[in-house]
Amino acid sequence: MSMSQEEIEALMNGIELDAGDSDDEEPVVDDTPEDNMQEVPSEVLSEDDIESLISQNNVTADDVAEEPTIAEDDSNTTINDDDIEAMLASIGGITETPTPVKVVEQPKKQAQTAKTVQDNHKEIEEIGSSWASKKVEEGIFPYPAAKDHKPLNQLSEVANDSEEKASKIFDVLSFILDENNVIQQESKKLDEFLNKQIALMQALSNKFPNIAVFDANHQSALELKNSVKIINSRVDAENMQLFEAMELMQFHDINRQKIERVMAVIRKLSGYLNNLFEDDGSHKEVAVAKHIHGDENSDLVGGDDLEALIAEFNKQ
Amino acid sequence: MKILIVDDSSTMRRIIGNVVMQLGFSKSDFDEAEDGVKAWKLLTEGTYDIVLTDWNMPNMNGLELVQKIRKEGTHTKIPIIMITTEGGKAEVVTALKAGVNNYIVKPFSAEILKEKLDGVMKK
Repeated sequence: MSMSQEEIEALMNGIELDAGDSDDEEPVVDDTPEDNMQEVPSEVLSEDDIESLISQNNVTADDVAEEPTIAEDDSNTTINDDDIEAMLASIGGITETPTPVKVVEQPKKQAQTAKTVQDNHKEIEEIGSSWASKKVEEGIFPYPAAKDHKPLNQLSEVANDSEEKASKIFDVLSFILDENNVIQQESKKLDEFLNKQIALMQALSNKFPNIAVFDANHQSALELKNSVKIINSRVDAENMQLFEAMELMQFHDINRQKIERVMAVIRKLSGYLNNLFEDDGSHKEVAVAKHIHGDENSDLVGGDDLEALIAEFNKQ
Repeated sequence: MKILIVDDSSTMRRIIGNVVMQLGFSKSDFDEAEDGVKAWKLLTEGTYDIVLTDWNMPNMNGLELVQKIRKEGTHTKIPIIMITTEGGKAEVVTALKAGVNNYIVKPFSAEILKEKLDGVMKK
């Protein structure tokens, strides 16, 4: 059930608009001893005073009209702290006491009133916004047609972003490939040196078979050469994997084209639906029924309720 | 030999370029263009031995580029390979009628591109 503007404003100011409260407002004047009212003429409020108080406290004109015992007086008199407190308390439990104010200070009060109205609007907007957000989260309302929720914008963003990232991934793969090439070139130099070492150690080992260190170095050089060979074959295998990864990146382009195809379908569908639902623009707003028979709504009246209502109104 | 690679996807251009390099070409052996308009500009300004082009591109698509190359300019006899995601029979026939020499459907492997390049260059 939605709240009326008055109810929302009342809620913002801590004022309850139910029947009980309107009764509470009455005693303000009723409780005041009649003698007291007569003895202290300064307590009598002028129409202007009432208006300014109403505007300060967001009390509607109707509420003020219901105050029966306040006598009208044109005299511009001041009101004291106690009076204001009593008035505010009677309106809705507002106990904050303003400093003694002369009712005649209109510009200051108007500014205060404007500020209060602005604050109220802000708070109402906040309440409305949080209520709408809650409904969106519950799935009752759709997401607003903002840029972040428009499918075409999102798809276009996805396609462009993934293109950018794919390019960066390709940079990384290319870098690894280039580095692998450098490793292989450097290992060639190492291999050439090891070949020379092996030849030298083999010659020395053959010439001096009794010197064990030549043979040991020869064996070590052979082992290192084998290690270089293993490194090269590993780098080759890694390069093959990199080439495969690069080839697989073609799927990025394929997927982008699939997204673009979906985007084209949405655009065409959007155009078609717009054409389908638009009219020639010469229509007039037609009043539509709020409650129709068959609606699932607790506010609907049944046959008996209707008769009872009619009967009740006919009595009056 | 100078190769012109035409594709709106920068990733795809790099993939094709990479495959071409695997086949023994260097970076200086190929140029890149992101649509038919830019490709046509390069073709009018320089000399190329083969064109590898995508089909679906903005401004001027691959099919329009092929038709333009076959009609105008100095490259009317240049070998053209279309590399595209369009895998339908009708599309292949349309491309061949427009004047492409060979046709590769994405995704492709380096071997397939090598095979097709060799085939086109021999002719």
